[in-house]
Parts: sequence; C-alpha cells; structure tokens
Amino acid sequence: MSKATATPFARTWQDINQSVNPRAMSKVSRQRRLVYTLKFAGIAGVLAIIVWGTVEIAETMGSNPNKLGLAESGPPLKDIALTTDGVLDHTWAERTLTLPKNATLMSLDLYALRTRLLAHGQVKAAVLTRNFPSTLAVAIQERSPVARVQVQVGDASPRALLVARDGVVFDGKNYDPALLGTLPWLDGVKLVHVGDGFAPIDGMDAVADLLATARNQAEHLYRTFEVISLARLASDGELVVRSKDIPEITFNTRDDFFRQLARLDYVLDLARAQPDKPLKSIDLANGLQVPVTIDTVARLQNSASASAPGAGLFPLPNSTHIAQRDF
Amino acid sequence: MISNTKIVGAVEIGTTKVTVLVGEIARGRELSIIGVGEASSRGVIKGAVMDFKAASEATHNALLAAEQSAGTRVDEVYLAQTGGHLEGFENEASVNVAAADNTVSAMDTDTVCRLAMAKELPEGRIVVHHIRRPFRLDGRLVPDPEHLVGRRLDVSYWTIHGLESKVADNTHVINGFSVRVTKLILSSLASGALITTAEERHNGVLAIDLGGGTTDFALYRDGCAHKTGVVAVGGGHLTNDLALGLRVQQGQAETLKLRYGRGTVHARDKKDKVMLIGDFSIGDREFPRLTIEQITAARVWEIFEVVRQKLGASFAPEKIPAGVVLTGGTAKLPGITEAAAKVFGTSARLGEVPAWIGENLRDPGYATALGLLHFSLNAQTDRATAPRRSLLSKLFATA
Repeated sequence: MSKATATPFARTWQDINQSVNPRAMSKVSRQRRLVYTLKFAGIAGVLAIIVWGTVEIAETMGSNPNKLGLAESGPPLKDIALTTDGVLDHTWAERTLTLPKNATLMSLDLYALRTRLLAHGQVKAAVLTRNFPSTLAVAIQERSPVARVQVQVGDASPRALLVARDGVVFDGKNYDPALLGTLPWLDGVKLVHVGDGFAPIDGMDAVADLLATARNQAEHLYRTFEVISLARLASDGELVVRSKDIPEITFNTRDDFFRQLARLDYVLDLARAQPDKPLKSIDLANGLQVPVTIDTVARLQNSASASAPGAGLFPLPNSTHIAQRDF
Repeated sequence: MISNTKIVGAVEIGTTKVTVLVGEIARGRELSIIGVGEASSRGVIKGAVMDFKAASEATHNALLAAEQSAGTRVDEVYLAQTGGHLEGFENEASVNVAAADNTVSAMDTDTVCRLAMAKELPEGRIVVHHIRRPFRLDGRLVPDPEHLVGRRLDVSYWTIHGLESKVADNTHVINGFSVRVTKLILSSLASGALITTAEERHNGVLAIDLGGGTTDFALYRDGCAHKTGVVAVGGGHLTNDLALGLRVQQGQAETLKLRYGRGTVHARDKKDKVMLIGDFSIGDREFPRLTIEQITAARVWEIFEVVRQKLGASFAPEKIPAGVVLTGGTAKLPGITEAAAKVFGTSARLGEVPAWIGENLRDPGYATALGLLHFSLNAQTDRATAPRRSLLSKLFATA
C-alpha cells in the first residue's frame, strides 16, 4: 500500500498571500475603505459612549443610589434666600409663599410660587431658583412708589394705596411712614377694579417724570407739592399741582418739566417779593408766558386799598437764562 | 447573534468586460441575486491580467456598482479563473482495502484521495482545482465506497493548474478591494454547472463557454468534470479577423460581427451586400454578407476544432449523449450551434439558465457569474449540512 505522506502536496491557489497591499488598491477601493472606516469609527464611538454612560450610571447607582432617587424624597427645605432691591423682607416672603412644612425642593411648584409673589403689586419681577440641597433662592425686583392715592370702596374706611411709575396701584409693605408722608396725593383719577386690585393708572409716567425732576432738581418745590390732579391730562395734556403755597400750578406734559419748574421757582421768588399779592394759580403750560392769578380775597383781607388788578403776567427774562437757573 | 445571511460576490474578470453579481445566501440554502455591476474590462488580455492598475480600476468599479446596486457590502468573493496558462492532467491512485473483512473505511478513501492528489508541479505552477472522479471498487464505479466491501479501491483526479503569477494577479485584483477570494473556480466549471443538468453531466455532456478572449470547455462524464481546458481564442478574434479581412476599424468590425456574423455560412449570393453604418453617411461602406459570414464561420469552426483536439481521446460523440451546450457572449452568434454540431458530430444547443433567474440576467454573458453564485450556494449548503463532530469523536478520529 502506498504511503499518502510520502509525496508532498503541490501548492494550491489557497497558498497565495491575500493580504491587502495598499498599493494594489484603486482610488475607488480607497474611497470605499475610507467610508467604511469612518462608518466603523462612528458606530464604535456611539457604542463607546453608550457603554461609558451605562457604566457611569451603574457606578453611580452602586455607590449611592440616593443620588438618583426622586428629589421629592430628598431633604426638606431649610431656608429661603431672599434678594431684593426694595424693602420687602424675609418674613414677608415666608408669609407670602406659605410653603408647606417638610416640603422638599423638587416638590415645590416654582411657577405657582412666582405667581403668588407677583400677585402683590409691589413685586415687579420675581425669580425662584432651587439651590440644592435645601435652599429656595428668591430674587425680587420691587416697584418704587411715585404717589399716593386715597381709595374708598363701598362703606369701608378709606385707605391709602401707592402708585408706581407704570401706574400699578399697590398696597405698600415695609415702607417707612415718614417716606410715604412725603409722597403727593393723586387726584382726578378714576380707579377701575380688576380682580382684587385696580387697573393701572394711565399717564403715571408723566407724573413720575414731573415728580422725579422736582425731587432731584428743586426739592424745596417738591416738598410743597401736596396733590397732583390728572383730571386734565387726557384732554389737555396738563398736570395740575396743588402745593402748600399755591392752590393751582399747571404743568404741560409736552414741555420740559425742568424749564417749567425753573419758571415756577422764578415766579415764586417774584411773588415772595410782593407779599401783598398772594397767588392763586400759576399756569406754566404756555411757554414763556406764565399767567398767574392773584388771590383777590386774600389780598383784600391783607390790604384795604385794593387797586391792583386780579390777574396779570410776571415779566420773565430770557428763557435760556431761566433754564440754567441754579436751584 | 450571528447573522444567518451571507453576502457573496461572484466576479468574472473577462477580456471584454468585468461582471459582478451579488448574491444573498440566507440560512445557507436560499440564494437571492440582489446586485449587478458591470464595467468594460481593461488591462486583461486573453483572460490574464496584463495591466494590474487598469484591471483593478475596472474590476473595482464593477464591484462598487454591484455593492451600490445591492445596498450592502460583499463579505466574500467567488472568482472565475480562466486563461491560456491553465492546464490539466489526470492522476490515478489505488490502495488495497486495509480492513480484514475488506470493508472500505474512511481511512481508505482518505488515503487513496491523498495519493491521487499528491503530485508535484513544475516550478511556478499552482493547483487551481482537484476534481475527483468517481471511485472504483474492484473495477466498478461507486460514488461513495465507504462501508462497501472490496479489495482494491481506485480513484483518479483531474488536476487543473496554472501559472502562480497569473492566478495571484487575478486574486490580488480582488484583494485590492479589501475583500478575500473565498473560492477560485474555473470559468468553464462555473458556467458548465449552470447550463447543464445533473442528469446531463452524469450521462455525458460538453459545455463550451465562448468568451471574448478565451473559450473554456468542460467535458462531464459520470456526474463530474472529466476534462477541462481553455483555448486562448474567443469572440475578440472574430472581430480581429473581420477588421483585418475587411480592412475596417475594430469598432466597425465589432458592429459587423454583431449584426451579420454567423457561426455557419448561410448566405449564397455573393452580390448580397450589407452596409457598415446603413445611412450612406461619410465612411459608410458596403460589404458582401457572404464574406463576413465566411470569416466568422471559419474562426468559429477553428475554435471548435481546437477544442476537439484538446479533448483528444477523451471525447467521442457517443460518450456525450447530452451533446454540446454552448454559452458565453460569442454563443449568441447565429448558426453557432450548427457549427458545433458539425465539428463535434453530435447535437448542440445553446445553454439555458434556470427559470428562477430574472430576465435581465438570462443573457449567456452572465452564465459564468451565475455559475459562481451556484457554486457559492452549494458551498454554503455543504457547510450547513456537514455533520458536526463532537470533541470526543474528533479525539478518537485522531488517535
């Protein structure tokens, strides 16, 4: 019998080295390999991210499952950190928010709490933030009162409310009563009930501008302002101020309040020089012409010989000069 | 989970065109052809790669087109091999049955097969196929001698070998596409397996694949390939003959061949003329139809004569009752079956692809690539049905 292993086998085509020689690759083949490599790398990357994420989650859950537990089962709320640009304080915030006992941060409905804060007219804007693990941060922007308004609803006793520059009427909290006492009263406005409060008053930006100019540039005049009437604002664009000295001072909202205040100061200076001619009204709404009305009744009381006219014009110097008048 | 689907590419790098078919083999037994790619061949002469870069570009373009058509990447490639360098020889071996009771064991068949395959080749040549013919047990043909009783077991192999450099060139063209060649299959075997039935192969049939640069043939007998060969003459030579004989350009000769070429002379009237272009434009000329037919028929006749000579004593008309089956692009030439019938002295017909193959792939030019897919399916089926040996049985087998 022959031995099979005696004769060696000839080489077959399967002995040919089939390793890919890059130089044997055509352009098409190289592009195909590049696309394949990119696809492979992309898929490998995605898989690696998935695996990494899974491992991370597993490790986190393994080391401290509470980290992934529901926040509602976390520690109770300990503190409210209030930040404000006004006078509202921590007590007011706690009282307004009325948070339930043992509430956790995640159990709080921040939107509802914000709505609750904004329901107070004094609060202009509010931002609530969860500061983990147990602090609720409340940042508030408050409205500044410009004037006061006396309100009486039905048979209830009248009460004073505050009015901001944007016309919002609100019940001021935590304000210094002395400060509030300096605010002039509003007159000639018609308050409209909206819900539990009142609709914003139109034209308050003009009032605020007048008062701000007066307070900043002529505080001695501002201190005398008692009542500002908006009765003629819509029709004539005029604000009528009653001061301690003059029953009626008319300002034009279309002109610069600073110039008008300068003229007023000038007129009052002139009037003080003539105490026998007490003024009843000053109309600053006509530019350089400032008609004044002299209180004839008072004048007759002061002087038996009433020969002066009941009304007149104070001569005013150059308007530029007045505008530069140093209060 | 390992996918049950395999994407197989069947590649034929021909002299005139590169054909790629992509097949999806599901569960090892269902084949679907899902992609086709073709490109004009460059750098290939008579089935052998002569310009590696040009051949690679053409092949890779066809592969990419097939992959894009299939919408997937090819996992492995079944590559058709042809070329004039391929040769074959027969090698026989015989053993005495070892067992005392003369029952043939697996070891007997293994031994006789190894002996039959063990033959050294000249330097630089490499085996492409070992085709086993049926066993003979005490002279009688048996497909599987194991467990049969007999004294002497014979087997012969038809070994096909070729130049290692040319086979490697073919393989490296595919490797350049970053794909391995899983199986290298002779073109004639690939096309022959498709266009002939198992019964025809058992009775005896001669399959001839007339390509552009080569003509491949496989003679089947007793159900397996008895002899194969390659003639380095193909349809391209018909074109060349026309170009020289009629003094026209290659492209014009190709047009004349496709329009008026025949395998046998049919025209009788010498005055019967045909136009080169047909619209009497500049350069349009007329040629005698008879001359064209004589030129093409002569070359076809010569090709068949060469095939018959190469078959030698193995061929006899009475040994191939199923006749001659023709395929390949040149087989579309009218009258070629008559020529084959006359040369081989037996019936001849054009090969038909199985009915399940789509209309767009029924052209004879796809026969080889389809045959490659047929082989790939069989290979997968063999793998799927092969019995799995346990570790224990492997231990005993090696002991």
